[in-house]
Amino acid sequence: MSVRLLALATVFAASVATAGAQESDRTLPSQLSAPTRATLERLIDSARVAGLPVDPLYSKVREGVFRAADEPRVVAAVQRLTRDLGDARLALGDGAGAEEIAAGANALRAGLHPADLSRLRESRDRRDNHPLTVALVVLADLATRGVPPAMAAASVNELVARNVSDGSLLSFRQNVERDLVGGRSPASALDARTRAMIDDRKP
Amino acid sequence: MSGPDEPRWLDEIAGELRREVPVRPAWRARLLDEVARAPKPAVRREIDETFDDRGEDALDTARRRWSLTVGPLGSLAAAMMLVALGAGATYVAMSRLGANASQRSAQTSAPAPSHLVSSAPVSAEREIVRFEIAAPRASHVALVGSFNEWDPGATPLSRDPATGKWVVSLRLPPGRHVYAFVVDGDVTADPSAPRAADEDFGSPNSVVFVSSPRV
Repeated sequence: MSVRLLALATVFAASVATAGAQESDRTLPSQLSAPTRATLERLIDSARVAGLPVDPLYSKVREGVFRAADEPRVVAAVQRLTRDLGDARLALGDGAGAEEIAAGANALRAGLHPADLSRLRESRDRRDNHPLTVALVVLADLATRGVPPAMAAASVNELVARNVSDGSLLSFRQNVERDLVGGRSPASALDARTRAMIDDRKP
Repeated sequence: MSGPDEPRWLDEIAGELRREVPVRPAWRARLLDEVARAPKPAVRREIDETFDDRGEDALDTARRRWSLTVGPLGSLAAAMMLVALGAGATYVAMSRLGANASQRSAQTSAPAPSHLVSSAPVSAEREIVRFEIAAPRASHVALVGSFNEWDPGATPLSRDPATGKWVVSLRLPPGRHVYAFVVDGDVTADPSAPRAADEDFGSPNSVVFVSSPRV
């Protein structure tokens, strides 16, 4: 049997295995009017020139179209996200990756202060430059669930400084969430779970 | 080495090709092209050299025993078997990985409203992520997010008959992905996944983080 036929079969099988994976689409939806598209293109180009990640901006536009938001609202959302991305990049430093910046922007949106992000970066810098994406995701989640942002930032910062792994940070988030659903106050849940995690790491 | 049998061998192939077989025209054309260009099989050539001096009877016996002539139908069958093997292996791998992610979520997920219970991925060490949500009265559930351009038609969930939950497994690139479920047209965040604080359009989204493969 020819090698070509074998290769053909292998390529077909591989395409089945990768079904679902999609590249990010960096085009603006055709449902938007031409003036809105032009405005968004200018915004996104400015973000690109500033070195900000633009995939979250395209995603925000598509989310707005999916949710049938009116066009000014889509533009406003993209403007706000661009601002948050810029603030997050400033707070996290030039070495921050695109995922970190996007997660940082989300944390700012949740009520965190840029100084909280900078402190987190300093803790990270004292470690091994491990990406802060998960820590920032956890931080944003806690803040949206009613945990006071400053408290959430202090706890997560302490855990990051103690080299807590990403997996443990996510478990920490789930445990706090479980306590909140069970009726515990946010401050109490956060305090108890932070102490428990620190105690677990003591030799 | 080319022997006196070669014309007969070509005749056999030609005869095989003239037979009507249910093959797509494009595949048939490719097969014809491959067969026309195929050299005499290496194994057969080796046999010819080995038995060159032993007489026609011994040569014929050896050829009958060792010859590796594969017709178009044989090639097609082998190709189909390979495809089926690849698809089967993929299904098994996705099932196993998906089950692991689901088990990890189920152990740690928080209690959620009884009408909408999700055991969604909070994190997955691997790239295949299983999303699931319990929406017993729903007739259609889909997944939208940054990974499918927020296209509600791109990633429908199917109901798992064993658990009654709506499930889908996706291969996602490492990174942070924002998503939501669409349950009978209503957009809803995943109750047991981290929330994204980006309610620009009315309702919150969820976040899944796929870590980079360990090196």
